[in-house]
Amino acid sequence: MESRVEPIKNQTGVSCRGVTKTYGQGNVAVQALRGVDLEVRTGELLMLVGPSGCGKTTLISVLAGLLQRDDGDCSVLEHDYKQMSLNDTTRFRGRNIGFIFQTFDLIPALTAVENVATPLLINGVKRRVALEQADVVLKKVGFDDRMTTSLPKDLSGGQQQRVAIARAMVHDPRMIVCDEPTSALDSESGHLVMDLMRQFALGKDRVLVVVTHDDRIFEFADRIARMEDGRITRIENPPKRGNEPKKNP
Amino acid sequence: MNFIALKMLLGDRTKYAGLLFGIAFTSFLVTFAASYFGGMMTRSFALIAENPKADVWVMDPAVVAVDRPINLPTAALDRVRSVEGVQSAVPLALATADARFPNGRFQSFQIIGVDDATLTGVPLMKDGATASVLRAPDAVIIDPGGTSGKLQTPLLKADQWPRGGPHLDVAMRPLIAGDELLINDTRVRVAGQSEALPRFPPRPLLFTTYSTAERILLPERRRLTFVLVTAAPGVDAHMLAARIEATTDLHARASDDFKSDTVKWMVANSEDVGDAVTMLSIAMLVGFGVTGVMMFMFTTENLKYYAVLNAMGATTRSLLLMICAQAAICALLGTGLGLGLCALAGRIFVSYDFPYRMMWFAPVVGGTAVMLVSIGAAAFSVRPLLKMQPASFLGGR
Repeated sequence: MESRVEPIKNQTGVSCRGVTKTYGQGNVAVQALRGVDLEVRTGELLMLVGPSGCGKTTLISVLAGLLQRDDGDCSVLEHDYKQMSLNDTTRFRGRNIGFIFQTFDLIPALTAVENVATPLLINGVKRRVALEQADVVLKKVGFDDRMTTSLPKDLSGGQQQRVAIARAMVHDPRMIVCDEPTSALDSESGHLVMDLMRQFALGKDRVLVVVTHDDRIFEFADRIARMEDGRITRIENPPKRGNEPKKNP
Repeated sequence: MNFIALKMLLGDRTKYAGLLFGIAFTSFLVTFAASYFGGMMTRSFALIAENPKADVWVMDPAVVAVDRPINLPTAALDRVRSVEGVQSAVPLALATADARFPNGRFQSFQIIGVDDATLTGVPLMKDGATASVLRAPDAVIIDPGGTSGKLQTPLLKADQWPRGGPHLDVAMRPLIAGDELLINDTRVRVAGQSEALPRFPPRPLLFTTYSTAERILLPERRRLTFVLVTAAPGVDAHMLAARIEATTDLHARASDDFKSDTVKWMVANSEDVGDAVTMLSIAMLVGFGVTGVMMFMFTTENLKYYAVLNAMGATTRSLLLMICAQAAICALLGTGLGLGLCALAGRIFVSYDFPYRMMWFAPVVGGTAVMLVSIGAAAFSVRPLLKMQPASFLGGR
């Protein structure tokens, strides 16, 4: 299977209809998604917001191919994970999806540049080439030579998240999934990170899905999808940049 | 991916050191036990090894090992000499006797009676002496045979051959040429000390001529234990052994075969083999315990990062290969360290005359044990990886 998807501008990147997902069985079954309908276009930054336990993380896990949906239709970059084997799904993720996590999840034993090079190494790029490319991307997000060889423990939270952004972008994926990317950062660092994401991650025809509780960054979204009880209840436009953000319901 | 695996392994120095220690310890103990066992087995056929001129050993058909002698009729020597292909055949007598020392103490010796004419069977001598010292009347050559402190005599003349009770607590010195011993009330004179190979089990040795041995030992109908045969030039030892067996009805073994027979008998009958196996088992268990637990902890603590790698596109196979690469690196380095330590410990042990000999199979056994331990540890530690949910790191978990 050819798993690398070529970019097509303003196309539907993600299209889900009636997606359901239930954890457990019988009396302990928890229905996390109860028929989600969602469409995200390339070149768009969509924020998924809602109270804890409403299914945001489950939904991005399904979109990223980390969890298999139970029912409904879902096409991600014109691929349906249900039609793919587990290994094909994993390889598809490796080539087409970048991840940014709440706790950064950088590998502690690797330097910043090695962490950034990881997706390239996974995709079989030679180490020297991978490290060179990673270095270029790290420089784009504001790292100097000294910082690129620092271990994660020697970097601040904001710097670690910048490494995570570089890692999510280095292999030029078609979709980036961010899980609470600013919740571990102060307001200033959070804004810097979102600025970087808009500046670099959206620079190409790419789908950007951000799960967040952080209403300070709503202004960076193109659209905001509000979730409640496993459903998307509302799609709204973000507050204008520089205005007071809306309160999360 | 191996690069990432290596960095992850080296990044956690405490666990890396623990893993290396566990594997090196296993490698060391297993190789050491195997080498010790090798040393004991080598010593068990020391008598054969120090008679390289004997191509074939002829014995009673019931004999299964060099230390389990059953004597032959004297006529056996002439029967063997008459076989075609035999260049020379000499007698060798083995027996055990208690010797009385000058202070009154008794010490058990293995008596080795060698051919009077050729003195075949006498090992190298100390202090530049030669086997011909045995040609003096009542002469014997003594050897510690792997023991220590057992060949001593009173320092003062006054304490030697005392009347009344033995003088056991007096100042002592090693036996030297000229000292005398009593064997079965027959006086023998120490003519020198040899450098025979240490025996297993260790015991003092007393070399003398066949005729002196017959005289000092208690009378027996049969005194001849082995006939040592040198094959004629161009005659194969195995063929000659078969021919001797067919012609004389005696048991004949080529030297190498007789060594193997002796080792097999020791393996089957010696309690020390059980001790070596116990040591090996403990080494394997400890090694597996330490290495397995460390490897499991290492994998479990890194599970989050394996999940991240899996999310980023690393297949389960790649992750398993990473763990295997980590185990392999630890196994290689640990084995090297263990073997190095073993060689070092071996040198020290050999200098104290312990039966240590690292033969080819010892590192092989050690390496195999380490491989088994490492595979076991890796298999033990991949379980959580196989059960891992790649979505587990999302939501800040």
